[in-house]
Amino acid sequence: MSKQVIESLRTKFGDRVDILERNERRVYVTVANEDWIPVLRHMYEVEHGRLCTATGSDRSTGVELLFHFGMDQHGTVVNIRTTLKKPFPKIESFTQHYQAADFIEREIFDFLGVEFTGHPDPRKILSSHDRPADFHAMRRDE
Amino acid sequence: MSTTIPIGPFHPVLEEPEYITLQVDGETVLDADMDLGRIHRGMELLAQEKTFDQDCFLVERICGICSASHSWATALAYEDAAGVEPTPRARYLRTIVHELERLHSHMLWVGLAGHIIGYWTVYMWGWKYREPILDALEAITGNRNNYAWYVPGGVRRDVPDEVWPPILKALDEFNDNTNLLIGAVLDDPVILGRLKGVGILTKEDAIHYGALGPVARGSGYDIDLRRDEPYGAYAECDWNVIVQEDGDLLAVSVVRLLEMLESVKIVKQCIKNLPGGEIRNEIREIPRSEGVGHVEAPRGESFHYVRTNGTNMPERHKMRAPTFVNIPTYRPRVKGETISDATVIFAIIDPCYSCTERMAAIDPTGRRIANAQDLIKLSHQKTEWLKKNL
Repeated sequence: MSKQVIESLRTKFGDRVDILERNERRVYVTVANEDWIPVLRHMYEVEHGRLCTATGSDRSTGVELLFHFGMDQHGTVVNIRTTLKKPFPKIESFTQHYQAADFIEREIFDFLGVEFTGHPDPRKILSSHDRPADFHAMRRDE
Repeated sequence: MSTTIPIGPFHPVLEEPEYITLQVDGETVLDADMDLGRIHRGMELLAQEKTFDQDCFLVERICGICSASHSWATALAYEDAAGVEPTPRARYLRTIVHELERLHSHMLWVGLAGHIIGYWTVYMWGWKYREPILDALEAITGNRNNYAWYVPGGVRRDVPDEVWPPILKALDEFNDNTNLLIGAVLDDPVILGRLKGVGILTKEDAIHYGALGPVARGSGYDIDLRRDEPYGAYAECDWNVIVQEDGDLLAVSVVRLLEMLESVKIVKQCIKNLPGGEIRNEIREIPRSEGVGHVEAPRGESFHYVRTNGTNMPERHKMRAPTFVNIPTYRPRVKGETISDATVIFAIIDPCYSCTERMAAIDPTGRRIANAQDLIKLSHQKTEWLKKNL
């Protein structure tokens, strides 16, 4: 069921996408930072994926972003992954292309300190208003 | 020149502390801003300190009204990571509880919407009809809310056969009551006046904002995970996805009302075709992996992602409730509308209460002087009068 999306990503991006098919309904695609927006735009504009949400995690390799696209027409979820360098993770915002990314990018900025450049409204969203500007609750830095 | 009107963070109409600011020119809303974060409980961090069994019970506390949805999505995520399928009997039992939850959640919203537009009859009716569904959930799971029903691999306990006949009877009555309510609501000039043509969300905006559930389907955005990525027993049941094209508050209300009839159909089929056998494929350990589980909650998709590291606790558990995605759709809906409609437009994404109400008309000595049928008759007479005189 994921075959069509996998073929489409391979045709468009070739070796620049590392695709792991965990099962027929769940696909994980790893991309470099510079291919982040082109791949996300392809998922939304060409494959008509719906951005369910995104997961940000502080891992030993850096801050990992995982954008989950629900492919409702295929009954699958395609997850796009990239890793950002610490201590100041930064990447272009997807919100200017797809409004659904607005709140979740603000949440990842709030909890993990990822700067989404070009975000139209880069405010924190969930943590308390008196929180210090440089405190991000899910960062594991010493 | 515009004026700023704050709503919240604590306000009688809002079910949770949210802060909305409206920019208005006279009576017309020019723009709106939503400020969240006053009830953040750190669930994602808490989940990392729970075993995967405990995690399913923790996530029920996200929301008392759609607790089954979060719990089921979490169980699906762990099953995805472990590569384990639930047993056939568990799939049916899971579906029954999930659809009963949709019934009580939608009926709660019907009552709440009546309350917000000042239509107390609808509020009383809706919450009265909701009660037998909560009783049914209590009979099946032991709890009216927060059922502790879903565990990775299946469900927590089996249900004896004698539980089902009274539930089937209650469902028949619920079906009749819902039909009555649908007829009354869609025939009422006051309700139509408040909802029709108000707060329109176009299909293009619904897609661009990633709207979910009845909010999306009310705008013609035809998505429903129960059909699109079938889980549980949905693929084995005969039911329809309800979609309306108009995008106004009435369209979303109609979707919720008609969906209840579909849910009744699903529950009855599941009870009729309930397979025997085990209720759980036990998962002893989950390898280093990751999994996604998502289900169609009453308000739209509940999405859960877990990453496991070979221990019995998740390394990361991401949770996303549908309201998080539906809140931004308020902005395109409310622009250009009047201040008096701002609250009901916000309520269309479905606020979340946990409470019960019952209805009876009594005289000062406590003697019942009117039953439900008498009040329905009075209500019809009032509607006829309104139609003639408005």
